[in-house]
Amino acid sequence: MALKFLVVDDSVTMRRIVLNSLKQIGHEEFVEAADGREAFTKLSADDGINFVITDWNMPDVTGLDFVKQVRANPKYASLPILMVTTRGMKEDIVEALQAKVNNYIVKPFTPQVLREKIEQIIATPVA
Amino acid sequence: MEDVQKMPQIPNMQQLFERLGDLKSFFVYGQKLIPTLQKIVDFMQATIPLLETVNKSITESTGKLPKAAVQINSVTNATEVAVTEILDVVDGATNDLMTIMKKLESLRSRVQKQGESIQRLVAKYPDDPDIKELVQNGLNPEVLQQDYTEVMNLSEKIQGGLMNITISLQVQDITSQQLASANHLMTSIQTKLSSLLFDIDTKEIMKHHIDTHIDISKDLAFNPEARYDKNHENQAFVDTVVTDNQIQQSQKDIDELFSKK
Repeated sequence: MALKFLVVDDSVTMRRIVLNSLKQIGHEEFVEAADGREAFTKLSADDGINFVITDWNMPDVTGLDFVKQVRANPKYASLPILMVTTRGMKEDIVEALQAKVNNYIVKPFTPQVLREKIEQIIATPVA
Repeated sequence: MEDVQKMPQIPNMQQLFERLGDLKSFFVYGQKLIPTLQKIVDFMQATIPLLETVNKSITESTGKLPKAAVQINSVTNATEVAVTEILDVVDGATNDLMTIMKKLESLRSRVQKQGESIQRLVAKYPDDPDIKELVQNGLNPEVLQQDYTEVMNLSEKIQGGLMNITISLQVQDITSQQLASANHLMTSIQTKLSSLLFDIDTKEIMKHHIDTHIDISKDLAFNPEARYDKNHENQAFVDTVVTDNQIQQSQKDIDELFSKK
């Protein structure tokens, strides 16, 4: 199945790096958003998006709030969400998992790690 | 009758003398206290210039904070522009390299097919001198394969290097969060200093509010703990926490399932 990614990060640099990494591991379809609010608008408007990669620290609506907002909608209960952030403390990771992100990457990351996590999420059966 | 009227006056006089005694003691004590009071006044007079200096110093320091904040913001913006330019170059080089690799693959395939055609000609016309010359001057398939492998390995090495540059450029996002954190800290200091100035001189705080406002509202999204650390142990730690949490969640689901039954 071809994946269409929603890449959410307030940093232009990071969005570009994530996109480059996705291209390098063979993905071609992307939508970008600079914060949680824009991300939710774009997700609602595009039924083709089937994978979300989001940062945590963003202005306005944070990545964590965005995840909670997404998960609150039954339509997106099984939408794969990968958190990519600088926050590496145990309580942060647990908080993100409790908000129902599927997996977690700490920055700086490599395309190999990104590929590994995407494959893990796709391979995990939906509960 | 007269004796009765005189009687209360004696204690009154007695009280008056006692009060005068107290007053005398107070003056004597006051006289002793005067040098101490003078010292306090002298000390306070000496302190006023010092307080004014402190006040001026705080005002100046507070006034410099917004400038520093603006400079930090411009550093963040400049590095973002520079990183974008580097990414443009890296993207261009990566695309060119991929084109080279595709063309090289195509060339190898064509040369291989040409070699096979030559071999067929040799089989068909073994004594033809032109064909013999073509075989002698043509590319050796083994040498060709070796060169191809070397160039492809080198290209992949360059591709890896370009990707490493991209990975390292994540430092921009991390440092911008650190700078935003520093800006936030400066705003807190400015607020504290402002309240201190308010205690010293109300006029100063008014001046301060007008002249030295730091606007960093756009930079509030940051992680003060952000670190640029390429150590794989960080991701390994994350993976451990994720796995532990998933195991706990699975166990919770199983427990819930059995409790329902």
